[in-house]
Amino acid sequence: MFTVRRWWERFGTRTLLTGAAIGVALVLRQTQGAFLLESYQLITKPFQGSPDRAIQLENAQTIELQQRLTELQNRNQRLEELLGFNQTQKTKGIPAPVIGRSADHWWSHVILGRGRKDGVELNSVVMSPGGVVGRVNKVTDHASQVILLSDAFNQVGVTVSRTRATGVIKGQSGEKAGSQVIMEFFDKNVDVRRGDTVVTSSFSKKLPAGLPVGRVESVDMGKSPAPEAVIQLTAPIAALEWTSIFPNLPAEPETITPEAPPSPGTLTPSPKP
Amino acid sequence: MMQFPRIEEMVHTVDRSPEWRSILGGILTVLSVWVCLMLLPMRLPGMSLAGICPNWLLIWVVAWSLRRSVWQGISAGLVLGLLQDAMTEGEPTHALSLMAVGFLTSRIQKQRFLNEDFISVALVTFGMAVVAETVMALQFSLVGSRTLMDIWKHHQIIALSSAILSSLWAPVLYFPLNNLWKWSGIPED
Repeated sequence: MFTVRRWWERFGTRTLLTGAAIGVALVLRQTQGAFLLESYQLITKPFQGSPDRAIQLENAQTIELQQRLTELQNRNQRLEELLGFNQTQKTKGIPAPVIGRSADHWWSHVILGRGRKDGVELNSVVMSPGGVVGRVNKVTDHASQVILLSDAFNQVGVTVSRTRATGVIKGQSGEKAGSQVIMEFFDKNVDVRRGDTVVTSSFSKKLPAGLPVGRVESVDMGKSPAPEAVIQLTAPIAALEWTSIFPNLPAEPETITPEAPPSPGTLTPSPKP
Repeated sequence: MMQFPRIEEMVHTVDRSPEWRSILGGILTVLSVWVCLMLLPMRLPGMSLAGICPNWLLIWVVAWSLRRSVWQGISAGLVLGLLQDAMTEGEPTHALSLMAVGFLTSRIQKQRFLNEDFISVALVTFGMAVVAETVMALQFSLVGSRTLMDIWKHHQIIALSSAILSSLWAPVLYFPLNNLWKWSGIPED
């Protein structure tokens, strides 16, 4: 009896701890690590990418809207041809792979693997399936740096294509940094609602007018001094792999003949069903 | 090794002569900066946190300044800051933030407070990453091209993520570089 008590005094705590550890491990094993997985998920939650990235990439609605847009664009182009102002000239984009992201956290850049030797110029427009992505702001012989729409510095003039309400977009920080931007309207009373299409406006000199940017996700009408809207970018900026680069042709309203109807800036048809 | 007696001979020559060692050390030091620069725009899996990557140049400056004088620290910060400007945009400059990092790191009385192990290197890097991003945010506030609220909201996110990641990756850079500098006898304080 005495020896057992001495043994317990010497090794008791250790034995209990070992037993407890084995017990916990067994329980975890029997539950197939559910607790571990759950806790891991909880811990990594702040660092997980936006869960809708995969959905975003193959969003059926986006595809549908794209198709409708293409159809309307074609129809519009045919009408324009009939009217006689053949202003939109189709240029072939330069396909360019995304080889890097910004080397700093204060800017949102991507680095593309095509440069001056491939025909890329400063201020060229960078598009990806889904819409406009950004604008080239640095070119070397074989690479170029693109400032993205989601950059907080880069303000671009946009317009709601249904009502022509204009404003500027700027990037935001946080977990939605790559997929959503904030649109600040110029007017106090704007007609805008969720789901409206947003395209680049003719007021902005940075990008050609009428390029698809995104959809209105939510609207904050109470914001001072002017309402704000959250725009969901249609181009998957956070998951870009390939882009096409188009030369940034200056807008030339002078080429329109006097007989043409008086709205030169609105080249993109608003997708009204 | 026996099949390549000339290479072996070369290695011995370099290892024995202090001049060769410092030359090779210098070349490798420059090469390490280049590697850091190349790592900056990469988003390797496991290396990024909410789209933010470790600030390799900051780690380099910390590794350099830990055992050097204030002026060496400041000049390294200046050089690497300018290099980072070249990789991104020059206004506001990264040189100021990395110079602050070099200055503070070399001023830390490391011998007195911290041992030379990876915990202390990581700790110093953590603090310095926060300092660097704060200097950047202050510069942005002075430039005034963004609203103050945007700047400091953004600062909060990137200072924390960058500090965590940089401090975790710091030993990976610190130990090889430190050994290189010890071996080649590149002047230390």
